[in-house]
Amino acid sequence: MRDATELNFDEIVLRNEKPVLVDFWAPWCAPCKALAPTLDELAQEYAAEMEIVKVDIEANPALAERFEVRGIPLLMVVRHGKEVARTFGTLSRTRLDAFVDEHVSAD
Amino acid sequence: MRTFHADPAIKAQALDRLRRHIAAGSFVYFPAWQDGNANAIGAVVEADDTPLYAETLGYPLALAEMLPMFVNGFLPLAEAARFAEAWLDRTPIGADLTGIVPQLIIELLGAPALTSVTARYPELERLRTDIIALHRQSLRAEAPDRKAWKAVRLSAVAATDRLEGSKVDRHAGQVVESAAWPGTMRTVLRDTLAGLSTFEMHLALAAIGWTEDDESRVFHIRQQAEIDGHLAELHGIERLLAILDADHSALAVQFRRRMNAMEESRQRYRSTGWRVIELMEGTPTAV
Repeated sequence: MRDATELNFDEIVLRNEKPVLVDFWAPWCAPCKALAPTLDELAQEYAAEMEIVKVDIEANPALAERFEVRGIPLLMVVRHGKEVARTFGTLSRTRLDAFVDEHVSAD
Repeated sequence: MRTFHADPAIKAQALDRLRRHIAAGSFVYFPAWQDGNANAIGAVVEADDTPLYAETLGYPLALAEMLPMFVNGFLPLAEAARFAEAWLDRTPIGADLTGIVPQLIIELLGAPALTSVTARYPELERLRTDIIALHRQSLRAEAPDRKAWKAVRLSAVAATDRLEGSKVDRHAGQVVESAAWPGTMRTVLRDTLAGLSTFEMHLALAAIGWTEDDESRVFHIRQQAEIDGHLAELHGIERLLAILDADHSALAVQFRRRMNAMEESRQRYRSTGWRVIELMEGTPTAV
């Protein structure tokens, strides 16, 4: 998984050839920490189909503002440079998988 | 991977580190490793690092992931420490524990309360047995492929979404869908157990007639007390119970039953924790 910043977000997310699942998180966010192992394994599960990119909103507040992040953890699917779906809050691994499958696999 | 890499010295060091924290009073539920305090993971690897614990001691990651949750199910802290010590002490040296995760998931999916609900929904029941069959297959070292897991998982999500029964029934569906991952995945056991515990808690609350409206009433009573300072000489749960006893006696009786039901949901973690230890003890060791 790569980390995106205000400097490289457009390059590694918006201009990515693969769909990207963007994880907006912060170091103080316990639910974000709980979600991390699931995302690690999801990154392996979907390695061929998509990339997972993490954005620390504390270090990159302009990205939080730009994408109107009102709460975390927030997961956003970007395909062909455009946001196609987002989900906020704690989600079970299975529901997250279903969310990714729906928005990443569809073309 | 073999437990303690078949080296008695690794087990002895892990036990020694844990026991030193317990003796020093620096064994805690949370966080894993901070200011000299440690939980069951941090005490051994001296870091907040579950994968390192699994790697160092040779446990499957999904089992190591569960350890703090099992420990947190025990009150008071001395009981939690007793469990944490038993976990290490009773793990045999040189055992391959990879079969324990699928075995446990099969057992969790067979919980009578769960099957009493799935039996009413033929599609969900079929998926429950399909998922058990996939875990059994992996126990025979014939790992099902990714597509097989994915197909059953997405079907389980769809079946849960189609459930027309109560909210409790929907929680039952979520247990089934949580289990639809290979046992090698880090969070599959955690999610399945959490789902079952939540389902059982909602079942118990429904059995005593506790509703969301009751929950909301208690919340507003507590909120109002904060505003008007009612019984401010008391604190926390003691204050809330005193207010309910004084002004809402029927609700007070129900609230105590609710508290008992919530406490009982911890029992699922305790019993599963001891079951893991029992399974570990029964695992053959390398000669």
